[in-house]
Amino acid sequence: MTESATLLILILLTSLGAAPVIFALPESAARLRTAINLTMATIKVALVGWLALEVGQGARHGLSFAILPGLEFRLQADPLAILFIALSAVLWLITTIYSVGYLERGPHRARFFGFFSLCVGATVGVALAGNLFTFLVFYELLTLATYPLVIHRGTAEALRAGRIYLIYTLAGGLVLLLGTLGLWVLAGTTDFVAGGIMADVAAAQPLAAQALFVVLILALGVKAALVPLHRWLPIAMVAPAPVSALLHAVAVVKAGAFGIIRVVFEVFGIETVRELGLTMPLAALAAVTILYGSVRAMTQDDIKKRLAYSTVSQVSYITLGVALAGPVAAVGALAHLIHQGLMKITMFMAAGNLAEALGVKRVSQMDGVGRALPGTMLAFSLAALAMIGLPPLAGFVSKWYLAQGGLAVGQDWVIPLLLGSSLLNALYFLPMLHRAWFRDAPEAEAPRPRIGWMLAAPPLVTAALVLAAGLMANAPFSPLEWTRFIVELEYRE
Amino acid sequence: MTGLSLALVLILPGLLTVALASPALRAAAWRLVPLAPMPALALALMTAPDSAPVLRSDWLILGTELGLDSVSRLFLAFTAVLWIAAGSAARHWMRDDPRAAAFGICFLMAMTGNLGLILARDAASFYAFFALMSFSSYGLVLHERSDKARSAARLYIGFVIAGELALFAGLALTAAQAGSLLLSDLRASAPDGLAALLLLAGFGVKLGLVPLHFWLPPAHGAAPVPASAVLSGAMIKAGLFGMIATLPLGVTAFDDLGPLVMSAGLVTIFAALLLGVQQTNPKAVLGYSSVSQMGIIALGLGAGLLAPEAWPAILPALVFLAAHHALAKGALFLGVGAVAAQPDGRGRWLMLVALALPALVLAGLPATSGALGKETLKTALAAGSAVWLPWLVVALTLSGIATTLLMARHLFLLARQSPPAPQAVAPEAIALPFLGLALGAVMLPALWPWLAGSAGAPLAQAGTGPLWPVAAGLAIALGAGLDAHARRIGPAVFAAQLLAPFRAARARLTRVVAVRQRALRRLSVQVPRQIAARTLEWRLAQTAILVLIALVMALHLASEPRASVIPDSPGTSGAVTEGNL
Repeated sequence: MTESATLLILILLTSLGAAPVIFALPESAARLRTAINLTMATIKVALVGWLALEVGQGARHGLSFAILPGLEFRLQADPLAILFIALSAVLWLITTIYSVGYLERGPHRARFFGFFSLCVGATVGVALAGNLFTFLVFYELLTLATYPLVIHRGTAEALRAGRIYLIYTLAGGLVLLLGTLGLWVLAGTTDFVAGGIMADVAAAQPLAAQALFVVLILALGVKAALVPLHRWLPIAMVAPAPVSALLHAVAVVKAGAFGIIRVVFEVFGIETVRELGLTMPLAALAAVTILYGSVRAMTQDDIKKRLAYSTVSQVSYITLGVALAGPVAAVGALAHLIHQGLMKITMFMAAGNLAEALGVKRVSQMDGVGRALPGTMLAFSLAALAMIGLPPLAGFVSKWYLAQGGLAVGQDWVIPLLLGSSLLNALYFLPMLHRAWFRDAPEAEAPRPRIGWMLAAPPLVTAALVLAAGLMANAPFSPLEWTRFIVELEYRE
Repeated sequence: MTGLSLALVLILPGLLTVALASPALRAAAWRLVPLAPMPALALALMTAPDSAPVLRSDWLILGTELGLDSVSRLFLAFTAVLWIAAGSAARHWMRDDPRAAAFGICFLMAMTGNLGLILARDAASFYAFFALMSFSSYGLVLHERSDKARSAARLYIGFVIAGELALFAGLALTAAQAGSLLLSDLRASAPDGLAALLLLAGFGVKLGLVPLHFWLPPAHGAAPVPASAVLSGAMIKAGLFGMIATLPLGVTAFDDLGPLVMSAGLVTIFAALLLGVQQTNPKAVLGYSSVSQMGIIALGLGAGLLAPEAWPAILPALVFLAAHHALAKGALFLGVGAVAAQPDGRGRWLMLVALALPALVLAGLPATSGALGKETLKTALAAGSAVWLPWLVVALTLSGIATTLLMARHLFLLARQSPPAPQAVAPEAIALPFLGLALGAVMLPALWPWLAGSAGAPLAQAGTGPLWPVAAGLAIALGAGLDAHARRIGPAVFAAQLLAPFRAARARLTRVVAVRQRALRRLSVQVPRQIAARTLEWRLAQTAILVLIALVMALHLASEPRASVIPDSPGTSGAVTEGNL
């Protein structure tokens, strides 16, 4: 085992390894648990930073061992993996701080943080997976690790949501298993290789290749919340705010989107997908999801539900950019993987603060909350304006690249689609901002609510990142620069 | 050094925004609000007309470039002046307002956006500043929270979103064609008709071109006085600036869009008049007047789109018209506040008289900036399309009548009922910025050559402009006023009122005549009586004298014989006399 493989294992262990320790700790050992959590999360950010530097300089770390002949467990740190790991490492640290504050006096914290670590560990595995089989393993682990988080509150509603979540994702997992087997049979390997491994198969058996593609996209589409497989997502928002934040921004939804990226670019290869005539249907599916999610979001009064439908819509930007099959659009898609994560985690944490400090859970109760929680609402507003696509915020950069990417490949309909989506975003986010800042609170309220720094700071930090990702989009090591680096590699092959 | 000064233009308002959000620094920050645009003004005035400072950062957004050129310098100058005046008015206007901090924050953010978009030289940062300005102005329009303000704000934000979307699409299409984000490359790349149309629509919303004007008069009417001054004076010009900055004016001919914009301009000028004179809120009338004035700008823009060869001459005229409208309209809006803040009727009338100055400037009294701008534009248009020229010239001339009418309506409404002002506002605190801007509007033709350098040259050759449109406007306004008055009180009463002076004169005359008659009558009785009396006296006297004479004669005759004078009867009378004596 080389030094580089050690690095990968260490990164995996920071979260996966922390889980058993946390499970083992008694419920009352809150300080120790927090210390372990934060130490691990900090170490992980440092390790990922180191790894990113090495990968940026051209190093390719990997590790693999055979489970069956021809079936390998394989981890590899390519730039695309770094993109996802970096997002999950940074947001894990922030969300951990937030969760500690959020669940300060709640029950079952050992269970919560244990599964929380497992969930993040699974995400790291998903990112580092070097072939579809490894991906599948961690993908399933992710499903199982998030279920206890969704039902954490133990209410009837939470249990029902958990059940629906499990049905959808396990079914998706099963289909993914089928797809993986199919890939193995057809291509003889499941490795992720830039440029894809299916070119020969597609030439020989186009129908089988098409079928396989559909199966894989359907399987991954469950977690990526592609319409009509999205239903679990708005229901799962009954989970505690930090869980929703992580689910929507990093873990589950992004694992699906990330899977789609891997399948399109590194299993099939974008050229092969285009030759199979599947880019347009995928783009159309993404377009429908974008509009549908936004339309549904407009009518939701529950803040978290509105955010959930917004996630349905926004995550499909990633799929759309991939399906447009051009390098510029791909840059937009990959950058949006990060940008959407930053924006949505900010909004969910802000929503959590509103519920915690003011008991505000509905949009119609948001009157005057800007005065009560200015920092939180500032963060929320920045994220919302970014979602609408206003510069110099992160969302603008993604939308701009998607628009340019669409035009570059002659798909001019992307422009009206983006305009429609922005309009809908404005229609369901601006009224919230209007209520928060420009309406007076219903009555003379109790003394100004206090929230601890552990709740107040994380959304501000992520909002600052939203601003930074847009304002410094062209700076080295910005998400945009990194995605340009990735796309250069993908399209060079 | 220049880079630092460019950055300072944005940093100062930005820092003040943050300071205003903190309760501890709020009071101090408000004091600095009028000074926030000072770096911008200094930069605009101290940059030589032909130098072009640039600040570039590849890291920011998608590669940001800020800079100044000969056109944006002028925009920056008048925009900064307006924000300074509005800022100093706002500081006092908002003194006791419970929502002053929110207003101030929105005000400063809009200022940052407005100044920033003038400096921006790439599409992303331009769009960012434009959006910052448009969205934060929502708070300005909504500020009073009345039903009127709420519906105006809703309308406003709807149009803003539509405009932003059109801009995003237009900029994305243009940038894709140009393969660059720099505005200079965008202009050079000659976007196709759709992209240009989207840009025109996006900026046309801000400019209030019919039919994209619906938001403008209510919003300008509903915002507090200092805010409507900058909305109408400064921010509306961002639409013009955006078109100049992004469209390939003077490069490509747009055979469809040019006439479209010109027609929109023609309709705008006169539709705004018809709609504006029906308003009852003085500030809404001013809003319609702004719409109408932007119609004039659109005429020039359309002509430039149609005939690129005319653009080099049109551009300085448009910039001058923009500066002229900014100062005059800013003064008019602040003037509403100045009138409202006066405690007594005398002060109000004084302010109203002062308000007539910018109103006449705007209407285009000969030799004012309004007339000079239009004359320059007419001259410039001559190089363009010959088909359109006569129509444009007629429209430009008639626009003087339209503006005069709107101004008359505005002053009339203001005189009849002055709008409310905050309790605490000191009268001179609003009057000073108002008078400053009014003075600026009056002095603009004198200042322009110094300010604009070579770009001001065509202005010097322009004629002073005709008086008759203003005079005709005034006459029509007077007639319309009388007519309205007659309708209000009914024809019979009006006829009575109309005849009242004559009646009064007659009554007076009658009275005088009666007096004279009485006097005459008295005289006619007196004189004969006098005569009679005299005559009687005379008669008595005569009789007495006759008697006396007769007596004398008789005595004389009696004394004749004793007279020695005459021999035949000597000494008679003498004898008598002697004898009697």
